[in-house]
Amino acid sequence: MRSKVADRILSKTPEETKIFARLYSDLIMHINRIIKEKGYSQKSLADKMEKSPSEIHKWLSAEHNFTLRSIAKLQAELGEELLIVPVRKPVFEFNSKFVKTTYSVTVYSQTTSVPDKSESWTEAEPVVDSSKELKNAA
Amino acid sequence: MNNFEVKIWDDERRFCTFYTVQFEDSDENETDKFFIRFDNFPTYESATQALLSFILLSIGDDHGAIDELLNRYEEEVIGLPVKGRVKLGEFTYNYPDFPLRIYVLKITDEIVVLFNGGIKDGPTNMESSLHHNWVEACEFARRIIDGIKDGAVVVDEVNRNLLNGKGTEEIFL
Repeated sequence: MRSKVADRILSKTPEETKIFARLYSDLIMHINRIIKEKGYSQKSLADKMEKSPSEIHKWLSAEHNFTLRSIAKLQAELGEELLIVPVRKPVFEFNSKFVKTTYSVTVYSQTTSVPDKSESWTEAEPVVDSSKELKNAA
Repeated sequence: MNNFEVKIWDDERRFCTFYTVQFEDSDENETDKFFIRFDNFPTYESATQALLSFILLSIGDDHGAIDELLNRYEEEVIGLPVKGRVKLGEFTYNYPDFPLRIYVLKITDEIVVLFNGGIKDGPTNMESSLHHNWVEACEFARRIIDGIKDGAVVVDEVNRNLLNGKGTEEIFL
C-alpha cells in the first residue's frame, strides 16, 4: 500500500532531485563509516593535514557545500575513495564481414571497482586470430 | 487531542514501513495533508519533492531509519530532513537549507510514523510557525509511545508492522 499523494509527487519529481537525495545520504553514510573505522577526531585530522583544528572546523563548516573539490580534499585526507566514477574502454571489437550486412559488437569493461549495488564486470580476454575468428576466453 | 488512527502510509519500501496518523473526523491523514499543502505552493514545490525523495528513497529504499539520517531530535519527535549541519563525530556537513520540516517518530530502524509539519521560518520550534505542528506531533508521539508501553500498540519487528493489542492492524488511540 502506498500513499497516492506521495506517488503523484514522486512521479513528477525530477530525476536529478531523486539522485541528489540518494547520493547525499550515501555519501554521509560512507564518510561516517570511514571516520568510525579510522577513529578520526578533528584534532587528529588537523594534525594529519598540518592545520589547526579551527581551520578544519571552518573547512568543514555548514557553509561548506559538498563540491567536487571538497569531496576530493576529504577523500585525500581520509585515504578512502568517496566517489567512484566508472570508466569504460573497449576491450575488443568484432566486425563481421562474412555476411552482406556488417555487424559490429563492442565490449566494454569496467576499469574501476564499483560499489556493491552496481553490476560487476569481469574483463574479457578475447583472442582474435589471423582469420578473424573469435575465441572466447573465460 | 481528539482520537486518531495510526495507519500505513507506505509499506512497499525496501527497508522501512511508514505509518501516518489520521484524526477520526478527518478525510485525510496528516502526512498527505503536509505534502498536498506544500506541493501546491510553487515556492516550496522543489523542496517538497526533495524531502519526499529523502524520506521514501534514502530512508525507505536505501538505508532505513538509521540514526545518521534521523538526527534532528526535538523532544519526542525527530525533524526531517537530516539536520542542516550533519555532525558525524567531529565533522560537520552541509545539507541544502530546507525551508520545510516534517516531524516523525522513529519506532525502529524499519518503522517510522510520519506526522505533519510546516515552514521553518524561525530559529527554533518555539519561535516559528512550526510551533503548533511540533506541539501536535509531540502529542501524537506521546500517545503512541504510551500505547506501546501499555500494550495497545504492538511492534512486530519481524513483519515491520504495528498492530493493536488484539493483533490486528486497526490502531485507534
